[in-house]
Amino acid sequence: MALIEQSARGWRASRLQITLAVILAAAGFLAVTQIRNELLIRRQLRVPSQRLEELGFMLHEMERTRGVLEQQIVQLRGQLQAYEQGAAQGRAQLEALGQQLGQYRSLAGHVHVSGPGVIVELNDSPFPLRPGDDPNTVILHYTDLQGVINDLFASGAEAIAVNGERVIASSGMSCVGTTILCNTKRLAPPYRVIAIGPGDEMIAYVQRADGVVESLRSFAFPVKITKAVRVGVPAYRGSYRFTHARPSGPFE
Amino acid sequence: MWLPIAGLLAGIILGFLVSVEIPLGVVKYTAIAILAAIDTILGGLRAQLEERFDLSIFTTGFFANTVFAALLTAIGDLLGVDIYLGAVIAFSVRIFGNVGFIRRDMLERYWRGTRQGTAAGQASR
Repeated sequence: MALIEQSARGWRASRLQITLAVILAAAGFLAVTQIRNELLIRRQLRVPSQRLEELGFMLHEMERTRGVLEQQIVQLRGQLQAYEQGAAQGRAQLEALGQQLGQYRSLAGHVHVSGPGVIVELNDSPFPLRPGDDPNTVILHYTDLQGVINDLFASGAEAIAVNGERVIASSGMSCVGTTILCNTKRLAPPYRVIAIGPGDEMIAYVQRADGVVESLRSFAFPVKITKAVRVGVPAYRGSYRFTHARPSGPFE
Repeated sequence: MWLPIAGLLAGIILGFLVSVEIPLGVVKYTAIAILAAIDTILGGLRAQLEERFDLSIFTTGFFANTVFAALLTAIGDLLGVDIYLGAVIAFSVRIFGNVGFIRRDMLERYWRGTRQGTAAGQASR
């Protein structure tokens, strides 16, 4: 009886111990496995496992932004290609435009020009004014200068300057006292008109009968016309002001 | 008394010998489960020292705590609440408490043993 009781107690005790042993073994195994895994994670990823989720989220976000940026890259590459095409086309156009602009500039008188031409020198009459005489008979008028310039242009002059003032489309001549205004600049005698163009034709036309030079000479104004192989005409120094005129389409 | 310790050692050695890879997503839950297991074991040790150890309470406590801790953490993740922090704090507090009680019980036993003599001390173990 006592033996049975003792053996039963022994059995109970050993059962308890075995159960405990199994549970503790499980716990130990689990703990060691966990520690080994954690160490592995740290060694491989160099981050503790608590931060994995955060990093995963960041990775996801980064991947999303990367996708967006990749789309942007594709878009920008397309734009760049379009621009490059445009630039290639534009370069040829730009060259043509530059040439055109140069032409227009020289037409407008914005560049210095040189070439063969004529020099016409005019001056007031050298005869002294006697009492009772009209001073207009010895003073050179702007109409005379304008007439000479008109004749030069009419006979093919391409660029004209008077005393270093370029005559352009909007140049006006006017008289102020004994001086002449051109491009609102005062000009004083002697007047030196330089014209680039066909020299012989210009000389022939300016010296024609009933021309301005002819009448000036008949009034004893000294007029000297010389043909030059190469003369220079300076650029127009003023500015163009269009306060009233506006560009418009062609008129019918 | 030696058999459970041998079991623990066997488990540890087995853990070193057999390499089981825990998936990355589960590592967090198993950590909490292990914390719960440690708490239960220390609780069992304390109960043993206070001579009120019960195997069924220990066994059910071990498994229930372990599974429930992992489960709660998973639920917290699903809800977006860091419940595992609560579990960590709760288990840590309990572990420290148990360690404190175990220390007192052991000291008590030691004092009683020195008073009663070495032989009696050995027997009470």
